[in-house]
Amino acid sequence: MAVTLAGFVDFEITWRADVFSGAPQSSSADSFGTLGINFRARKPRNEAEWGAALAALNCAVPAQLRYPVSG
Amino acid sequence: MINAVFEKQIPAPELDLSNLRRSIQEEYTAVAETPQQGFHFHTGRPLAHMLGYRDKWLEGIPEASIESFAGTGNPFSLGKLKPGERVVDVGSGAGIDSLIAAKMVGPAGHVVGVDMTPAMLAKARRAARETGLDNVEFREGYGEALPALNGWADVVISNGVLNLMPDKSAALQEMARVLKPTGRLQIGDILVQKAVPASAKRKIDLWTG
Repeated sequence: MAVTLAGFVDFEITWRADVFSGAPQSSSADSFGTLGINFRARKPRNEAEWGAALAALNCAVPAQLRYPVSG
Repeated sequence: MINAVFEKQIPAPELDLSNLRRSIQEEYTAVAETPQQGFHFHTGRPLAHMLGYRDKWLEGIPEASIESFAGTGNPFSLGKLKPGERVVDVGSGAGIDSLIAAKMVGPAGHVVGVDMTPAMLAKARRAARETGLDNVEFREGYGEALPALNGWADVVISNGVLNLMPDKSAALQEMARVLKPTGRLQIGDILVQKAVPASAKRKIDLWTG
């Protein structure tokens, strides 16, 4: 949801894996079940497309947000 | 499944942001200057192979950039960068992803790598000179305030950096700002599968280690 709120559509996580096990030093990664991920998204064509994506989340456009400036 | 990394966008109120940034800079200065010392994350060529980086992508990339690679994903697996495209690399480090991108977009394209750590910027700039690529540059800056124009980029990439930014929402909004309409976001990052308590978010060493 946060990625959509920031101004994107078509958010998708395409991959996730443990990328920390076996590192030279121990870390907190295992404590939180931390995984490496790849994700992608797209800037919408226009404000209308973004609004539709937000509506699909049952989320109104927050008053303080607007379509990311491109001009 | 996506939880704390994306749900909580604002830093813990008691988190000292300047201290956090300084700690992250110290960590990644070490990754730049003494990459062989070993960290709590994998680095270098073994990491690149683990993340699925193709050997042909690494051809011609200076070893200095590869040895200090500390990504957590593979932005290039998310979509092909096309000749002529403009790319912003947020948290470009020692330059490996920016240099790979520069090769992919060719002389008609352009890549801007952005990083806040001077030692990483210096290493990336030296590496770029070594490659002879003139379609890539590295600018000092923060992910929450990208030194790039509105709507300049076709693609924003980033790898293992968003998790280090306390205000991820601001960083994502900046990525949206610099992209053209229909522009692509291709990100390597992390997610946590267990809730991160507020007390942990205040511990700077947990951000870097």
